[in-house]
Amino acid sequence: MVRSTQKEIRQRAPIWLIVLLALNFGLMTWQAKDTGGQPVIKAWAQSAFSPVQRATTGVGGAGIGFFRSFADMRNAVVENETLKKRLADAENELREARQSRDENERLKRLLDFTKDVSFKSIPARVIGRDPSVWFNSLIINRGTTSGIDLDMPVVTPEGIVGRVVGVGPVSAQVMLLTDERSAAGAVVGQLGQSNAIGSVRGYGKNGLLEMRYVSGLETVNVGDYVVTTGQDRIYPPGLNVGTVIEVKPGTINTPQTIYVRPGARLESLQEVAVLDYRPPQRTAPERTLPNVDKGKTK
Amino acid sequence: MKWKLAVCVGLAVVLQSSLRALWPPLAYADLPLVVVVYFALQRDAVMAVMIGTVAGIGSDLLSGGLLGAGGFSMTLTAYLLAALVTRVMIDNALIRIPVIAGASAFETVVYFFMHQLLGQPPVDPMAGTIAETFAFKIIWTTVVGTTVAFLLDMLFNESPGLRRRRHFAFRRRIARRGLTRRKY
Repeated sequence: MVRSTQKEIRQRAPIWLIVLLALNFGLMTWQAKDTGGQPVIKAWAQSAFSPVQRATTGVGGAGIGFFRSFADMRNAVVENETLKKRLADAENELREARQSRDENERLKRLLDFTKDVSFKSIPARVIGRDPSVWFNSLIINRGTTSGIDLDMPVVTPEGIVGRVVGVGPVSAQVMLLTDERSAAGAVVGQLGQSNAIGSVRGYGKNGLLEMRYVSGLETVNVGDYVVTTGQDRIYPPGLNVGTVIEVKPGTINTPQTIYVRPGARLESLQEVAVLDYRPPQRTAPERTLPNVDKGKTK
Repeated sequence: MKWKLAVCVGLAVVLQSSLRALWPPLAYADLPLVVVVYFALQRDAVMAVMIGTVAGIGSDLLSGGLLGAGGFSMTLTAYLLAALVTRVMIDNALIRIPVIAGASAFETVVYFFMHQLLGQPPVDPMAGTIAETFAFKIIWTTVVGTTVAFLLDMLFNESPGLRRRRHFAFRRRIARRGLTRRKY
């Protein structure tokens, strides 16, 4: 094998550098300009990588579990004492929890029934996370072959997770609700009974959500539940978003700013469900509003 | 050699995505960058920029960021390192530590700047703030990178002595310009 001399390498390297930098810059500007979702090449690359990711995640999980068991043994003695104390407290709580559990099971059965009737869900496993520390998206092991499509909502029993922003044949990329680019229509309190309607979007800090546009006249308390309204035409109405943890009150003229902790544990997601939700068609009056299809009428 | 190189780059990209799913802080260790730095220190600038582009675009394909931003920053980092290593001896086990830290800092700044430039700033820094994420990334990449570089040394049969001999041979060749092609 003949290798180039250092002189040749020195002559060629700047040319290669310029060509490759131009290629990368071209790709960046192309994607930055294109707002129509994820490039096809990304979707296909994710599909190609997904079997390897699945394998490495599986092997890594087994390895980490093995080493974690040794670490756990060292902490077992201290934990044992702590747990004995907590057991006594827990027994009291258990009595109350049983009542709540029975109620919860009834409501869950009801919710499952409603879900089954209105739209189907596709279970999926999280096989990868965004490799960059600057963004936070998920890669799941279901794609177009399983019926996944763009903008489908992704949920867990605890709450909504995000929406599908890229889809390949056997994998899909999910943008989390905590991403600043993501948003959902939501209401504080019960849907249909509360007027505290606004939109939640990623706050960009501590995995929280920020709810905006809620009238300053509405009463919102810390601990209130936030659910989807369905007005964004992505998430079905009535799904849990999270809990209010802080409220910055508004006035008659200014809306409140509400900080919400997502119900779904987004940092430790293992399994999710993708909902095959088709939003209801717009009614005829909505379609004929004066500001709709303005371009066509000109 | 070439298949080993391709496997290293591919594995680094896939692991970068998979390890975060197992334990989120592992995402701070930029494995593709470590591989790029390792090969940039081999004094072949053309190979370095190519590996930089492949590893960077590979990461971008699995990321929510701009396609090409990682490629751009890693290519530039690889070239600067490859240019530097021909002038100063930085391919040494101890000096590698600040080299990896510096490369990580530079690559992160360029990556961040490219997103800002094209109007798509990173929106979800993992540590909460940009400064903290930046700091954690450099620390993790340096610690993990130093270990990974030793593993790569073993994989590619590199030893400190061999590297030193190659460096001095290289300096002699540079001193006597116009050498004929080397045959392996």
